[in-house]
Amino acid sequence: MKKLYNRLLPYILLLPMIILMTALVYYPIAVTFSYSLKRMKLTRPNDIEFIGLQNYIEVLKSEDFIYSLQNTVFLLVLVVLLTTICGFCVALILNREHRLSGVFLAIAILPWAMPPIVNGIIWRFIFFPGYGFVNKLLLGLNIINEPVDWLSSRFLLLTVVAIVTAWRSAPFCAIVCLAGLKTIPKELYEAAAIDGSNSFSSFRYITLPLSLPFLGIGITSSSVTAVNIFDEIVALSGFSDTGKNLLIQNYLTTFSFLDFGKGSALTYIIMLLTSAIGVFYLRSLNKEVSY
Amino acid sequence: MRKKLSLTALAFAAAFSLMACSGNTAETEAEATEPAAEETETTEEAAETEASEAESESAETQDFTGVEISMMVPDWGNPGEELLQRFEEETGCKVNVTEVSWDDIRDKISIAAVGGQAAADVFEVDWSWVGEMNSAGWLEPIEMTEEDIADEPTLETFTIDGKILALPYANDYRIAYYNKDHFEQAGITEAPETWADVEAAMKAIKDAGICEYPFSMPMGAEEAGTTSLTWLAWAKNGVVFNDDGTLNKDSVLDALTFENKMVTDGYVDPAMRTATGMDCYNKICSGETSFMVGPTKFVNFISDPEKTAEDVLGNVEPILLPGTDGTSDRTMPLPEAYGVSAYSENKDAAIAFVKWLNSPEIEKELYTANGSIPNRNSVIEEMITDGTIKTPGAMLEQAQLIKSPFPNGVPDYYAEMSNTMYNNINQMVLGEQTPEEAFDAMDAKIKELAAQ
Repeated sequence: MKKLYNRLLPYILLLPMIILMTALVYYPIAVTFSYSLKRMKLTRPNDIEFIGLQNYIEVLKSEDFIYSLQNTVFLLVLVVLLTTICGFCVALILNREHRLSGVFLAIAILPWAMPPIVNGIIWRFIFFPGYGFVNKLLLGLNIINEPVDWLSSRFLLLTVVAIVTAWRSAPFCAIVCLAGLKTIPKELYEAAAIDGSNSFSSFRYITLPLSLPFLGIGITSSSVTAVNIFDEIVALSGFSDTGKNLLIQNYLTTFSFLDFGKGSALTYIIMLLTSAIGVFYLRSLNKEVSY
Repeated sequence: MRKKLSLTALAFAAAFSLMACSGNTAETEAEATEPAAEETETTEEAAETEASEAESESAETQDFTGVEISMMVPDWGNPGEELLQRFEEETGCKVNVTEVSWDDIRDKISIAAVGGQAAADVFEVDWSWVGEMNSAGWLEPIEMTEEDIADEPTLETFTIDGKILALPYANDYRIAYYNKDHFEQAGITEAPETWADVEAAMKAIKDAGICEYPFSMPMGAEEAGTTSLTWLAWAKNGVVFNDDGTLNKDSVLDALTFENKMVTDGYVDPAMRTATGMDCYNKICSGETSFMVGPTKFVNFISDPEKTAEDVLGNVEPILLPGTDGTSDRTMPLPEAYGVSAYSENKDAAIAFVKWLNSPEIEKELYTANGSIPNRNSVIEEMITDGTIKTPGAMLEQAQLIKSPFPNGVPDYYAEMSNTMYNNINQMVLGEQTPEEAFDAMDAKIKELAAQ
């Protein structure tokens, strides 16, 4: 009897979580998949029917999808680059022990705690086309003669969005990298110094390779953040075509145009793309480092 | 390899079982999303009987003791604790209000409706949502008397196929505002009556260096961009859409050309091409613009020292929208309303509540509670006469000219149509498209939507 109890106990303990995950995660995923295979526009409640992969084909062929995919890829590259470089640099600075380390750490974490929509609104004031802070600064320094309309052209707007997002996501990357840097044994640097290594070669051959697994976490996290940018774009440029990414396109299709069929198909496409990025990073960066 | 094959087979089996399950779910959902469509006939019959009964007895005589209803509105639509308490005292019905941001309300209603549920018994219905909510069957029709209908021109916006789908609480329609001081400094003593007058005045004011950007109009890629083009074509040419729902080329192209000219001639602040509608409207209060067409709530703002700059106070006057040969004989309504969910389990109480809020006495109190401009012309007139509304200008006169620009009611594809319109208008004012190109792009999409 006790043997049976011991065998069942793990399953009993797991049961609440299995029920919760099924109800709140797996069931919605399954229902969304079923929606994606139907013609399902809420304004036509009598016209809901199974159409197989038609929604996926129409979404993949549409100009809106291609355009928003291009914007998403542009944002992904820029956000990952900015977040990783800035985050790692901040981590290197914070890794140096001094009296103000704690204060610097708190300041560095602050943007991470900011809700994305608040972050977007603050930066909207900074990049406001007429009398925003950046324009006033550049005019004051005589760098420009007329205010720049930062949010009107496609790639300028996307660059601003990337900067705003990186500002929010870099602290997490910095904290993860800092944790990684703290785990590198000091003996390695001492041994390298005895062998004649300078600062650059110590960084190149010790710090960087040993930080790769942590950088991998930072890059994966910033990639997911980049694909999921929503609030910042809405705060900076609303639902305009100019800056829309896949998520905005998905929101418009599903909730604005009430096309739950195509919206669900787009959700699955985004999910697959994000999963592919995650698998790629994990395979490429989570390699063992040997000395 | 065998392991991989087994996994793949398992994944396919899971996917097919999900699809099989979803087939049944789909039917249930289709049924769930249809209630209003199926129930319409029975509802109509029932509504007629109920309505005649309801009309004969006022909210005070109806007893809903023990009934609780929920209400989901943006902060500006909250009637306030005092009015809710009064309704409870009069009818016994308790109303629980949840303030939700304007955008999120629509999302919550649609998600709940997919599951055949009411997100709330009473909820916000914007004028632009009424077409799709009607097609989706989310709104319960409400009966009103002929007298009420005649007193509330904005009801037309919420009426489709003779059914009133929501009762307006915030009467927004477009009215023109001009800064008398700027005009007088430029030597113009009369208010502009035609769009040619406006253009000439803008030139005179700019040339005299009185105001750098004398004309303000939302042009950003947002809803306000669409409504601006719509009221401009409506006031200027008296038509926006043809009977089949497509754009009227002569009128809309003319309005686009005028809008573009205001930008290219330098009368509009370039920053307004990416700013929000409110940023554009607020310029009249700060004295940064000389003329605009905007929301009715600015009638209050222009006499409020907290909202308007000291040197502008008393200088701005609300006037009738300009037209082609004289002032326009029409304006566009953009009201917000309270609707009753077709999935509500307390429809009678919910309908009684929205009708109570729509009554003349409560409309007047609602103005004090949350600043909502009344929908009944009789109430506006009374409030202007007793001085509750200060500096009304042509407010009442303009209210009497409210007409909906949609010949068949707001279409159920409005959101998609508006998205196409504001993006192309924005591309035009940013110099990426000519007015003709912008029109062609809009026209092609709207024809496609209307054909569906």
